[in-house]
Amino acid sequence: MVLADSSIVVLALPQIYRELDTSVAGVTWVLVSFNLVMALAAVPAAHLARRVGPGRAAAVGLAIFAGAGLACAASAQLSTLIAARCVQALGGAAAVTAVLELLPATVGSERRATTLWATAGATGAALGPAVGGILTQLVSWQSIFLIQVPIALAAAVPILAVARHEAATGVLSTELRQTGRPHLLANLALAMVSAAIAAALFLLVLLLIEGWRLTPIGAAIVVSVMPLSALLGSRLSRLVPSARARAAAGAILVSGGLGGLALLPKAEVALTVPPQVMVGIGLALVLSALTETALAGRAPQAIHGGWTISARHAGVVIGLLALTPIFTSDIAEQRQDAIDAGTAVILDSRVPPLLKIDLAQRIESRLEEEKGRVPTIGSAFDPLPSDPEERSAVVELRDELQEQLNRGATHAFSPSFGLAAVLGLLALIPIGLARRVDL
Amino acid sequence: MSPVLRGRALVSGAIVVAVALMGIYLAAGGSSYAPAKTQDPCKHRPWRNPEGLEQIAEQFSLSALDGAACKLGVSRETLAQALATPEGREHFMQRYGIDDAELARAIRAGLLRAVDDAERAGALSPLLAVPLRQTLRNIPLDQAIELINDAESLLDKAQSFLGPAQGLLEQFLP
Repeated sequence: MVLADSSIVVLALPQIYRELDTSVAGVTWVLVSFNLVMALAAVPAAHLARRVGPGRAAAVGLAIFAGAGLACAASAQLSTLIAARCVQALGGAAAVTAVLELLPATVGSERRATTLWATAGATGAALGPAVGGILTQLVSWQSIFLIQVPIALAAAVPILAVARHEAATGVLSTELRQTGRPHLLANLALAMVSAAIAAALFLLVLLLIEGWRLTPIGAAIVVSVMPLSALLGSRLSRLVPSARARAAAGAILVSGGLGGLALLPKAEVALTVPPQVMVGIGLALVLSALTETALAGRAPQAIHGGWTISARHAGVVIGLLALTPIFTSDIAEQRQDAIDAGTAVILDSRVPPLLKIDLAQRIESRLEEEKGRVPTIGSAFDPLPSDPEERSAVVELRDELQEQLNRGATHAFSPSFGLAAVLGLLALIPIGLARRVDL
Repeated sequence: MSPVLRGRALVSGAIVVAVALMGIYLAAGGSSYAPAKTQDPCKHRPWRNPEGLEQIAEQFSLSALDGAACKLGVSRETLAQALATPEGREHFMQRYGIDDAELARAIRAGLLRAVDDAERAGALSPLLAVPLRQTLRNIPLDQAIELINDAESLLDKAQSFLGPAQGLLEQFLP
């Protein structure tokens, strides 16, 4: 749940953006703040878990996570929401690193615990947007945070038993041995590929909702292709023992999928499916392979797990901060190009001149109503003229105008998807360099 | 299959799939899926079978917009958006550093080009074109903008201007 939380609000961002009356760049901080604090707090939280005991650290972390979730839901301003997200990330960092120390005792072996933890991370990242979208549409964006409260508290109950045992015996359940420094190359690759994956999720959701005007639930259904493909990727992962091969193949698939999204030849949802399948399979392969590598043979698990959490979330922050200014400026530019192209379509259309002027005024008011968003202009054409010839000319004009807007919206995201693909490919450098250390 | 071969097959498969997807999307026009580019307003655009006063007026307005936009070095579409409202005009003039006199000169030049285009297209008789040019050379800015938005009234006024020759006008306008 904590690892899904870095992406769960992605589909709610457009609604938060409108309700809290902010900008695209401003609302991005709802995501950035959580990931930034996770990146900064994961390793110190892991040290704390070893000092006070993983049971206590996980229980307290989950309680903070739940409390901050309530504060997020109650936020009426962007600043309070961002502050609450920071506190939520602090609790999340404590819980997620401490749990890695507790897992081996629960599942039987350290190796199984690592695999399970890495798979949970990949699945959480991919599943987050779909769950968030469904909740946003069916209830509200606040429900995303409210629903986490009982789940976090329920998860804390069995952990409390461990915490009580730690308090009663004064013995920490963690082993005190310490083996190896953090795996620099694996963590570096994790950061790069996470930047690309964050961009894939964030940009695709914005394209679907803000560009193509899908509802949150519609977008959630579309992006659920990624977690479903990630499940397939997890199965594929078991067939190939070499972590380096899985990491390389995963990074290539993530980049290829992002490259496909950068080259969409039409504004059609179906065309996002093949790239999403690639990103989904790729993220399952690469995230689990790199996380397992970063943890293999190293102890304590909580601290090395903390480094992987830190690397992943730092990557998300870098991806979001690097790409947000690019695509916000591209959106503004493409919106103007689309309006110019639409004006040309209106001026040259076969619609009678007086009707044309009337339509142009109605379209203008639709553009103003949408305040800088890509509008749906269908309603500006209602009611359609009764004369069959005029009607057909108006329908042709409407379709051509919408096509120009779709082209503008889709094209605005292309450079950002392309840059994210490059970030994913850059991960191949540390993966390749790690040849000697059997990545 | 050995673990090493399985690893190689996985990486090769990933490369093939990634290249294939991008190749297919590129071939389907992925690199050029963007809003249509606006045309150069300085290039002559042939008139589209004008029938009746309303359509002649429309083609006239489009030619005038092209001519004025060409003079100002902007697209026809940018100018059309600017002239739609007084606020739009103000914003446009500020953005491009244009004053009233410069805008008036450009719009007059556009209207004169529209008369030339109309004459060339056979939509306006030379008899009507001469007095129209004379009127347009001294027209104030607000009226000039009004005329682009409503060229039909200009042609109507031209009919009234000719007064007794109105019957003949029907022969000049197709």
